[in-house]
Amino acid sequence: MSGTSATVLPPSQVEELIRTLVKALRAFQMYLPNNPIYQRAMGNVAAAFAPIWAATDELVLGVLESEFHWEGQVVYQQIARNESLAWTLYKDGMRALTFRKGVEREEIVRFLELVNRARLLPPDASDDLLTLLWEHDFQYLTYQFVEPLLDGPPLEAASTAPAPSAGVVQRKVQEEVEAERRRPGVVDLEEFESTLYFLDEREIAYLGEELVKEYAQDLRGNALAVLYDLFELQTDPAIRSEILGILDSVFPYLLNARDFRAVGGLLRELRVLRQRASALAPDQAAQLDGFAERLSSPAVLSQLLQTIDDATLPPSEQDLGDLFRELRPAALERLLVWLPTVSAERIRDVARAACERLADAHPGEIMRLLRQPGSAALPGALELCARLKLQGAIPALAELLGHADPQVRLGAVQALGAIGSPGALSHLARAIDDPHRDVRLAAVRQAGAHGYKGALRRIEAVVLRRDLKDADLTEKMAFFEAYGSIVGAAGLPALVALLAPRGGLLRLKQSPELRACAAIAIGKIRTPEARAALQAAMNDKELVVRNAASRALREMGR
Amino acid sequence: MSGPELPRPAEGAAPDEGFLRQGGRGLLFTLYGALRSLKLYPVENAAVQKALDELQAAARTLLQAEDAIELRLSGDFIFVNATRLRLELDNYAYFSHIVTILRDYDIGILRAERGVERREWQIFLSLLLSLSGKERGVPRFLELQERLGAAGVAHLHLEPRTEVEEELDREHAKEVAKRTYAQGVAVTKDVINSVRMGRATGLKRVKRAVQTIVDQVLNNETSIIGLTTIRDYDEYTFTHSVNVCIFAVALGKRLGLTKSQLYDLGTAALLHDVGKARIPVEVLNKTSALDEGEWRVMQAHPWLGALTLFGMRGYDELPYRAILVAHEHHMKADLSGYPRTIRPRRPSFYSRLVAVADGFDAATTRRSYQSIPIEPDQVLREMWENESRGYERVLVKALINLIGVYPVGTCVILDTFEVGIVAAANPDQKFLHRPLVRIAIGADGGMLPKPGQLVNLAEQSAEGAFLRSIVKVTNPDRYGLVVGDYFV
Repeated sequence: MSGTSATVLPPSQVEELIRTLVKALRAFQMYLPNNPIYQRAMGNVAAAFAPIWAATDELVLGVLESEFHWEGQVVYQQIARNESLAWTLYKDGMRALTFRKGVEREEIVRFLELVNRARLLPPDASDDLLTLLWEHDFQYLTYQFVEPLLDGPPLEAASTAPAPSAGVVQRKVQEEVEAERRRPGVVDLEEFESTLYFLDEREIAYLGEELVKEYAQDLRGNALAVLYDLFELQTDPAIRSEILGILDSVFPYLLNARDFRAVGGLLRELRVLRQRASALAPDQAAQLDGFAERLSSPAVLSQLLQTIDDATLPPSEQDLGDLFRELRPAALERLLVWLPTVSAERIRDVARAACERLADAHPGEIMRLLRQPGSAALPGALELCARLKLQGAIPALAELLGHADPQVRLGAVQALGAIGSPGALSHLARAIDDPHRDVRLAAVRQAGAHGYKGALRRIEAVVLRRDLKDADLTEKMAFFEAYGSIVGAAGLPALVALLAPRGGLLRLKQSPELRACAAIAIGKIRTPEARAALQAAMNDKELVVRNAASRALREMGR
Repeated sequence: MSGPELPRPAEGAAPDEGFLRQGGRGLLFTLYGALRSLKLYPVENAAVQKALDELQAAARTLLQAEDAIELRLSGDFIFVNATRLRLELDNYAYFSHIVTILRDYDIGILRAERGVERREWQIFLSLLLSLSGKERGVPRFLELQERLGAAGVAHLHLEPRTEVEEELDREHAKEVAKRTYAQGVAVTKDVINSVRMGRATGLKRVKRAVQTIVDQVLNNETSIIGLTTIRDYDEYTFTHSVNVCIFAVALGKRLGLTKSQLYDLGTAALLHDVGKARIPVEVLNKTSALDEGEWRVMQAHPWLGALTLFGMRGYDELPYRAILVAHEHHMKADLSGYPRTIRPRRPSFYSRLVAVADGFDAATTRRSYQSIPIEPDQVLREMWENESRGYERVLVKALINLIGVYPVGTCVILDTFEVGIVAAANPDQKFLHRPLVRIAIGADGGMLPKPGQLVNLAEQSAEGAFLRSIVKVTNPDRYGLVVGDYFV
């Protein structure tokens, strides 16, 4: 900057610019870029540069601890370090800052944002203002800085021993040259392989591909693979202990980084190490096991599931599957609670598969959950029992038929029905008398579906004594269908009597609804007599009865 | 031939850096295309006409936003106005071709002004081609300038590279390079000593040192590479790490890596031997040959390095790339070498690149268990010809391409009976075997004052004969020469 610029550009203008920068710094710290205050600050900065550029193309500021210098004078001062822009620059080594025309277009905003970032960095961070600025490759902003004191000698020419005399040297040179000329078959240096001089297009393309691969590789995974290899290859307990320590510190980091693939990979590899590492000390074996156990504990697993819920980009089924595959039985309860809350179907499928694997491999865990009447995982556990047809769960399921919550009783009925063994059905039959309609309905349907004769007495009592007067049509139908399915030909007379316009023991007039139910039940019997009875009902004057008979016949025909 | 798509700034808007950078690349690309077409075909050929059209269009696009376009050669860089063009893999060939031509003619600046016509480009390029056949030694810059004027080219102007400026720049650059080198060594020493003493060490200083080395290699490659010849500055491990960092970054630059990629590579290279901090000093500094057990201990340094770097954890991501390079830099492409691995993987590209830089520097250096260093040209030849060494050939080729057939620091005897130290590879890639040499001992056997006289072995007499040629490579110790002295 020439001395004349001071006459053209008053220091107050430079001071005003820095003041505006300081204000903008505050605005950038407090507001998002789309905020009007942020926008206004940007505009003010650009405007503050205008008079500067009218006088000069370059503004060089000296940076001191608490002040900026320009043309040998202080132009701006901030004593309080926590607010001082000068101090933020100074403490990281900056001693001069040059703005060039054009900086106001976009670089100044980036610069101020980086200053704010640098202010928030802890002292032992691996970045400071200068490393951040370097990464941004500014074109219109340059700076000079000092390095911390170096611990080392300066680079100077070495003191050498006295040189041999010129004559001796000349003779040596001539000898060497002569010897070289006498050597047979010496390659002419001009003929040095000329292909070495250039990389051809194929080689350039290859290197380009290798560079792409360098940046596409799974860096973290590959680096962790180094640790797994070392653990296997190095039997020294101290080294293994160091590796375990590293993995221990990396583990939460991987979780925090939501690198589900790496977490899954790590747990899988630890399992492999547990099997393959020779001369493994018991405490280290326990440490290897400890990772999956810790992750499976409800508190840690809750955090993991929370991060899956919160992830903007959900993990792939593959990654999540690999991770869940490594979970231990303790994870089951938390997974079962989480499962119904998952909205993404593909994630739900993966989680469901994990639950099934755990329940299948560790039925004891399911029994434990079934015997916790207050557990939020109970509905999920019941579903699992149903899906996996867990025979061992029958006693616990039978107990749950007495649970206060009808939803739990319903789940137990469904599970028992899904298991479908005589033992399960014998318990299920009890639920036909359940006070809750949905439970009864489920129980009677399951009994019917299985043709469970043990339930006949209960169902018959309801159907024939017409205890269904308060029941809705669905329930009535369910009972009649189940009755038809279980009773067989033996029940036909009673049902035909009910189907008749004036049927029943006392030849009372039955409601059309009940007669329709009887038709449906007859349809389940599937004998010629049953078919004949239904065909006769096709002429009934009640439409609802005719429809039911028609439907039953259709089903019989199938 | 189609050039890169040029962005256009909005009407009335000032052009941004991206516009100049992309537009500048387009201009360079079309300039190269036109030059190549003119070399191959007569001017009336359709391919030439099309290439000239494209050049004119590229220039016009830039001139719509700028009053003039200035292509400026500075070191190994080309600037378009104030914007430095980035050398990348896809522009490597035409970039270096243009740099070579500008250097051949001693052109420092080529300025195109608004109103430049297609005809003017054609005259300029034709002159460049016709004069290139002329013998060296004639001041071609002046002739080119005169003939441009005579042909009525009014919108293209040339400015020469000034030697005084260049010399001043060189001296300043050398000082900066020395500071950078010393800082690199100090930081490496700090890291390694911290590891030795079990102290925590952060990566901030490493980051700053590597960033500075990258800047040096980008702006002043010759000076910083020259410093790699200093062999007795400080403990071998420290200087070696810095040397490998410099070679790797320079090699990466040659391959067109971006600045941030160079930083990644440089960090990994600087830390590649950090595991040696955990090798007992008595093994590390043993002057006699290592026995089998000691070799085994020594061979642990890659994996010890990986473990050490896993421990260098601040608030940021772990230096995974550096971990891999530390672990893999002695592995061969087929995974022989050391350390052994179980989980199959190919050493990463940066590991293979650092291996080449490491192999070259280690073999050319005198260290505790290698009292006689091998001459640099022999090292290159061995790396190139002996495939069992396991170096990736294309990367060795790139290294030769970077440092020349006679690497920086090689002591050579010339056919003039002078003895010199190779100072830099010849910037003209046609003359990789004819480097720039600092004459240390004159033909009469007398020692010249340091740093000697810089000569270009590509210089020819008016008759076209080379003024000086290398007869053989020799051992500098024979003549009491300390190579590093010629670079500090």
